[in-house]
Amino acid sequence: MSTMRTNNSSFGARLGAWRDQHVYSLLSSLGRIVSKPFSTLMIVGVMAIAMALPLALGMVLWNVQRVSGTVQAAREMSVFLKPEVTLEQAKVLAKKLEQRGDVEKVTVISPDEGLAEFRKLSDLAQSVDLLGSNPLPSVLKIRPKDDGMALATALQQWPQADVVQHDGQWRQRLNAWLSLGERMLKILSILFGIGVLLVVGNTVRLDIGTRREEIAVMQQLGATDGFIRRPFLYLGFWYGLAAGALALGLSLFAGLALDERLRPLLASYDSRFALHGPDLMMVLALLASSAILGWMGAWLASGHHLRQTRPTDL
Amino acid sequence: MPVLRFDGVSKTYAGPHNALSDISFTVNAGEMLFVTGHSGAGKSTLLKLIHLSERATRGTVLVNDKNLAKVRGRQVALHRRQVGVVHQDHHLLMDRSVFDNVALPLLIEGVPSKEIGKRVRLTLEKVSLASKEKTRPSELSSGEQQRIGIARALIAQPLLLLADEPTGNLDPSLAAEIMGLLASLSAQGSSVIIASHDLALVKRMRKRVLVLSQGKLMDDIAPEELAP
Repeated sequence: MSTMRTNNSSFGARLGAWRDQHVYSLLSSLGRIVSKPFSTLMIVGVMAIAMALPLALGMVLWNVQRVSGTVQAAREMSVFLKPEVTLEQAKVLAKKLEQRGDVEKVTVISPDEGLAEFRKLSDLAQSVDLLGSNPLPSVLKIRPKDDGMALATALQQWPQADVVQHDGQWRQRLNAWLSLGERMLKILSILFGIGVLLVVGNTVRLDIGTRREEIAVMQQLGATDGFIRRPFLYLGFWYGLAAGALALGLSLFAGLALDERLRPLLASYDSRFALHGPDLMMVLALLASSAILGWMGAWLASGHHLRQTRPTDL
Repeated sequence: MPVLRFDGVSKTYAGPHNALSDISFTVNAGEMLFVTGHSGAGKSTLLKLIHLSERATRGTVLVNDKNLAKVRGRQVALHRRQVGVVHQDHHLLMDRSVFDNVALPLLIEGVPSKEIGKRVRLTLEKVSLASKEKTRPSELSSGEQQRIGIARALIAQPLLLLADEPTGNLDPSLAAEIMGLLASLSAQGSSVIIASHDLALVKRMRKRVLVLSQGKLMDDIAPEELAP
């Protein structure tokens, strides 16, 4: 009997047959998608838009995080000393500061060095010349070891300090916004992910409806649930993969369209910031997760059908 | 050696309606027999119990000494691979070629594709459809479609072949041809059980006959007992 023959056949032959079955399902499901281009485009389009929204938000957050990372790295604070504090006194203060445990480095910028820098950066340098004397104070540039919040508070109490410039609070607020954005991204990803799952599930359910008789014939011939389910899983896989690719394309297109307007705007603020798209790992992760979502949607729909068509006592 | 044994088998549907009542018989390897009776006699129910499309309410059905009551889950699919089925309305996949239809049981079984090609062509030759392997079933006559159904059942070389009114829509000459094919399968060692209400055909074949009436086994007639 054939069953016995199959059981006796070599492991390699059975593995080859198993591979053949998968290749057959993979290609036949692709064929089904290609044979209905309009409906495929509609389905993939809906899924892609659902994926593109959290993806676009993710890209915005990623870019903001890149900028904030630069801000975090530049955690130096500046202490503008009062005009009556001499350069010698400033150097003494700097040495005193360096002995603190939360200070990594202190640099003293003399009024002359400050003026030279000012001349390089500002068109108002000629106006300063009109004053006759250098109005700039000595400045201590401090690089703290931590976030510098405690140090900034302590420096503000110094009688010699006129202004303490520290962006710690601003950075804290930015972090809070980024954290909120990340939470929103997670919520949106879950919601739209469920949406994608339902779209694929419903599409596969409709496809199963048109192949009900075929499934019944296969069940009669001894097909296992796995065998019947396989082409639908690959169908979901292809839908997911195509939707992921389209979502990526839509997001990149939106990014390019924004970048075109953003560049001149930021250039007017002397910024060289440019929007960055996802890197290769992010692209691969997106495509993999969208394909898995499609696969899962198909699994749910086909599993539901198989449970319904199986007599309860079998 | 018995391949199939029914031992006090009953099947009751909700209503209640007794489709089969206390049926007992055995079928040996390579045996061909007919199950006959009027509509509603229980012929199809009997075949469904063997194929595990239904389960017996009482009694035991043994296939190759395996109690079908204990066959569950994935084992049901594996059991069905040993039992070929031929239907009156063919149950073919009309959007696939003849080749694909006949290859389906082997694809399900996981037979390597090279072997599938050889076996399908060999089987199509047996049912005289070798030249039609690329044709869709919908382009063929009812008799040819039935031959595809038989080829599909034959190809897996089943332990048991169940045919439910396989010649119902065919003219006498085609019916005789189909019966010849089924008989050849029996000669190769498979047991063949044919449900039919065509008494003339049953008598002509001169095989064992189980007579059902209102779910009861009324008679078990040996071939030699049939009048010529």
